Amino acid sequence: MSQSIPKVVSRREMLGSVGGGLGMVALASMMGAGKSVGATGSGAVLGLPELPHHLAKAKRVVILWQGGGPSHIDLFDDKPVMRQMAGKDIPESIRGKTRLSTMSSSNSKWPILPSIKPFQKYGKSGLSLSTMLPNVGSMVDDICVVRSMNTEAVNHAPGVTFFMTGAQAPGRPSMGSWLSYGLGCETDNLPTFVVMTSSDSGKTCGQLFFDYYWGNGFLPSRFQGVRFRNTGDLVPYLANPPGVGASARRALLDDMRDLNAVRLAESGDPEIETRISQYEMAFRMQSSVPDLVDFANEPKRTVERYGVDALKKGTFANNCLVARRLLERGVRFVQLMHSGWDQHGNLHTQLENQCKDTEGPSAALVRDLKERGMLDDTLVIWGGEFGRTPFGQGDPANPKGRDHFGRAYSWWMAGGGIKPGSTFGATDDFGWNITENPVHVHDMQATIMHLCGIDHTRLTFRYQGRQYRLTDVHGNVVKGIMA
Amino acid sequence: MVFSLSHVMILLLVPAAEPAIDFNRDIRPILSENCFYCHGQDGNKRKADLRLDVREEAIKALALVPKDPGKSSMIQRIHSSEAGEVMPPPKSNRKLTPAQKNLLKRWVAEGGEYAKHWAFVTPVRPAVPVVNNKAWIRNPIDAFVLARLESAGLEPSVEADRATLIKRLSIDLIGLPPTLSELKAFVSDQSPDAYSKLVDRLLASPHFGERMALGWLDAARYADSNGFQQDGDTWQWIWRDWVVRALNADLPFDQFSTWQLAGDLLPNATTDQKIASGFNRNHMLNGEGGAIAEEQRFVNLFDRMDTTATNWLGLTMACAQCHDHKYDPITQKDYYRLMDAFNRVPESGAPQFFSSRIRVAPPVIELPTEENTRTIADLEGQIKAAEEASRRVVDAAYGMWSDAVLKEEAKRNDLPDPLKALLKKPMEQRTVDETTKLKADLRKHFDDKVKTGLVGKAPELAKVDSLRKQLADYRADKLPRVMVMSDAKPRETKVLDRGEYLNGTEKVSFATPEFLPKMPAGAPANRLGLAQWLFAPEHPLTARVQVNRIWQQFFGFGIVKTAEDFGVQSEYPVHGPLLDWLAVEYRENGWSTKKLLRLIVTSNTYRQSSRYTPSHLAKDPENRLYGRATRYRMPASVLRDWALATSGLINLKIGGAPVYPYQPDAVWEALAITKERDFTYPASKGDDLYRRSLYTFWRRTVGPANMFDASNRQTCRVRQSATSTPLHALTLLNDPTWVEAARGMAQRAMKSQPNTDAQLRQSFASILCREPGAREMEIVKKSFDKQLAVYKADSSAAKAFLKVGESPRDESLPLDAHAALTSVCLGLLNLDEAMTRE
Repeated sequence: MSQSIPKVVSRREMLGSVGGGLGMVALASMMGAGKSVGATGSGAVLGLPELPHHLAKAKRVVILWQGGGPSHIDLFDDKPVMRQMAGKDIPESIRGKTRLSTMSSSNSKWPILPSIKPFQKYGKSGLSLSTMLPNVGSMVDDICVVRSMNTEAVNHAPGVTFFMTGAQAPGRPSMGSWLSYGLGCETDNLPTFVVMTSSDSGKTCGQLFFDYYWGNGFLPSRFQGVRFRNTGDLVPYLANPPGVGASARRALLDDMRDLNAVRLAESGDPEIETRISQYEMAFRMQSSVPDLVDFANEPKRTVERYGVDALKKGTFANNCLVARRLLERGVRFVQLMHSGWDQHGNLHTQLENQCKDTEGPSAALVRDLKERGMLDDTLVIWGGEFGRTPFGQGDPANPKGRDHFGRAYSWWMAGGGIKPGSTFGATDDFGWNITENPVHVHDMQATIMHLCGIDHTRLTFRYQGRQYRLTDVHGNVVKGIMA
Repeated sequence: MVFSLSHVMILLLVPAAEPAIDFNRDIRPILSENCFYCHGQDGNKRKADLRLDVREEAIKALALVPKDPGKSSMIQRIHSSEAGEVMPPPKSNRKLTPAQKNLLKRWVAEGGEYAKHWAFVTPVRPAVPVVNNKAWIRNPIDAFVLARLESAGLEPSVEADRATLIKRLSIDLIGLPPTLSELKAFVSDQSPDAYSKLVDRLLASPHFGERMALGWLDAARYADSNGFQQDGDTWQWIWRDWVVRALNADLPFDQFSTWQLAGDLLPNATTDQKIASGFNRNHMLNGEGGAIAEEQRFVNLFDRMDTTATNWLGLTMACAQCHDHKYDPITQKDYYRLMDAFNRVPESGAPQFFSSRIRVAPPVIELPTEENTRTIADLEGQIKAAEEASRRVVDAAYGMWSDAVLKEEAKRNDLPDPLKALLKKPMEQRTVDETTKLKADLRKHFDDKVKTGLVGKAPELAKVDSLRKQLADYRADKLPRVMVMSDAKPRETKVLDRGEYLNGTEKVSFATPEFLPKMPAGAPANRLGLAQWLFAPEHPLTARVQVNRIWQQFFGFGIVKTAEDFGVQSEYPVHGPLLDWLAVEYRENGWSTKKLLRLIVTSNTYRQSSRYTPSHLAKDPENRLYGRATRYRMPASVLRDWALATSGLINLKIGGAPVYPYQPDAVWEALAITKERDFTYPASKGDDLYRRSLYTFWRRTVGPANMFDASNRQTCRVRQSATSTPLHALTLLNDPTWVEAARGMAQRAMKSQPNTDAQLRQSFASILCREPGAREMEIVKKSFDKQLAVYKADSSAAKAFLKVGESPRDESLPLDAHAALTSVCLGLLNLDEAMTRE
């Protein structure tokens, strides 16, 4: 059984301490969502009582977000025909009326730009990937490459928001919030939904990470992702003020608990009990969070596997290692957001650098999870908001980059119920049109939810008079990528 | 789950004997939730061509045969056990409970009558109910509440004690704690009108408007920057200051609203009325490279529509942007007809670059401050003086240049053709007029084109230039330009297919939604007319929506819990008659918010204790009947003000440009991925660190770090949330704001009280607004002793701890005791009670 068992003991104790007499309604209301002012419930532990809807394959999820749009043509989807036709226009019969960004929509030339580096076959499965991905290649028998991702978004922020929240405009709850809301938490000394960010080492093409990428939307704000910072305290205000030691703080919290207990007896408000427990969790976080980034007990071999940047705070490699430690400690949803794939004019130099920054640590994370026996129930997702155009951008005679392209692009996934060593979906000879098994953003969302034991059509939240869900009114579970 | 819970609530709250069926309360919620999605008003989604939202249609289709459930296909289908037959279909994930099925059956048997959705019917003042316990009634609010409590077999709670009442009123009306002497005076005031006097004093406080503004700013998605990549700063705080002034002056709500919706359209609009119209300019502004301005203009239009509909109508019109509303009778055409009123603003959709910091989008009005006027006059004076000084140089240069031009043909090459032609004419043949014109044109050409070349050579001229640039930069960066509304650019408004701005179809002109009352006779077809329509006496929504928002501020949640939605899908109000009575009362009192608030806070309902009793917990755990006061955590902004005020650090200056109090490092700086602007946090110094939270700069891409649970100020929000997470605990324990406040508080106590006991008592009372009990005093003393031992043993720790924050410490106070008392004060500030409105 991989599904989580709600830990209701402390809740029962709490209700008991208020003097009993609370019916199911009260219990439900305290656990439930949708209470606004005055309502909280500790919620850190419990999910919705009706969840999971079915047996979950994945207990936790880690998203390795590759912001900017990694080029599927150069990395995952080999197109020999393009090499033969380099420089020629992509035929109009292929292009059709595809909506492109304003940077390319008025082009008159569509020069085919083949992959800038060769591909090779990896592993027992013989899956073909770019030679720029040797480490991912070494894990290829554990992953599934999806070559038929597609989205309507043409620009970054709407594209990222679309995958994270199900809508292109900001304001809806993000996937991690939905999962926290639905499934609750397996740890009581760390947040259940953690976000970490990094950008390419060359800082060539950064995108901002807006907080609505991990926002709670209209869900209660405790379901918002907690972003670990790259400078200062990992979490704002984590450290005690100067001159306050752990034991002095502990003593103060004990006395506060006693004072709160006096008030609890007086007012009878179970919220006070919640408050006490949140302060206790805060205290535990003060040691559990710094412990996350203290690698003293990590075997040297493991740290090295993540690459030379593994010990450098704020790098993708470092975040991958921290991600594994988070997952190990029961954090349900880890969202790493890396930027730097937006190669409009520096594909030939930047793409390889970008691969070096990211592909080793990504593969290391999969390997590490596997060695620890965690890959089976951890879903790893690698991908960005779209792919890049099969034609080159810039001077048609000498294109230096690729524009945004949402019509077809590639992701890879591993663990948590994913069929290892496989591919899914395909595109035409130019990587332009999907020829089999399209996977729309909403389908991917539905699939991730499914693997986590959730029927995406049934996890809803009522707001402004309607039932909202992550996939809006769309989404089909993609059975073909499952083991 | 939320939905089913509220139904359970309603069922629980209905008296046991089978009551008459009320369509709105009992039937519509079932139909709306389970049937209207496919059998409602959206023709595009309708299945089997069947409508159940219109009685005639349901009868015509034999879905409903009044008084004959057996013949009604609706009843047959919901009771069916066949998968292909049963309604709602299993794949819809909707399922009727046996109780719901029975209710529908009974309803059909009783005639299957429909009624218009309650919120769309003009409220009439209901009769004040008769109650058993007449002694409890202080004003009609109490009669409505008590009648409902009595019918549920509940008693109201006792009155809260004096100390709780003054704390509660202070939080609710001004958001600042009473001073110890105010607290003492009220607690010991035996006069019968003590409470009433307190209410009057707080309502008259200049801080009343600051407190009341908080919810309104959330609704107005007010912020001090545009959002998006460059996130330019704006001057909308001028609008924010107007809100505070208007609330303090009790500007009647109809005018308060009219000015904000259409102040610019009022005859002879005053500056304040124009500023007020900035409400509709508080939206985000996207000026990113590649963003299409016209597309963004529509994003702004949609936002104005959403905000207006949510804020004044309690309706979610956004659905109708793309298709007829699924539940409410709002058509897509209604949406665009209303939008026409906002589609006349002379705006491009993109902000204009003024300085590297300031980006605002016209239309704006310029509002120079005294300092602006002074500085501009000063710079203009300097420019004039510099020009005087340079004139001699310029004149001499002109003399030489013009002589040369007049004499030598070769020097004429760069002159404009008309001048060349004039010069070609021999001097003696030129008329007097031509000679005058020649001189003037030569001088003009010299000043415009030639002189600039001299700048490098003549320092006098360079100075003029640099001063002029200084003036231009100053005006761009420092001259307040508040964004306001204007109808100066009417456009054709079209229905947009699927809400996409490029897909205009049918042309429409301004009208209000058809299912609501008609526009008042003679009202203009613009935003002003819209405002007049909202405040017409027969309007069913405006007053209800606003009294509900006001109520929610004093009771934690609205009478209609979904304050943002009064549509068909909203929750049926348990206290509907009270809501209607308040709505009519508000309208008839001339929309005076202060009068309405006074009525609410002087009621016995408001004055109840918040203590949980077993019977309340059993019968009404959520307090939907208001049989006790609601306990809830204060908004983070009030928490901060509370701490600053009890410490004595607070700076109570009202209004003005936003300030930059303590914030962790790198919160803004992390935004700096472009060099287009400087995102260094310009941390305030001195007094500005202690302004009320209302004045903290609100960067739209990253809100103030310590304002947890705040609205995101990106879109309209009319309900606050108050959650409890470990991150909040860390903020209140470790943010220098609270640590420094605790130090200030300790210092105050040490300087005014002779011994530790008295100091602890004073600190306790100033934070919690009451004297500690014996057990509490015991804990607090023990806590102090423990902390004292720590700091006695480690004076460097004491020093470090007392160094937090910029305000100076009184160095005459003993380090160890000061540090220990600071610790205890910090603990007190973090008690549940300290952050809770009880």
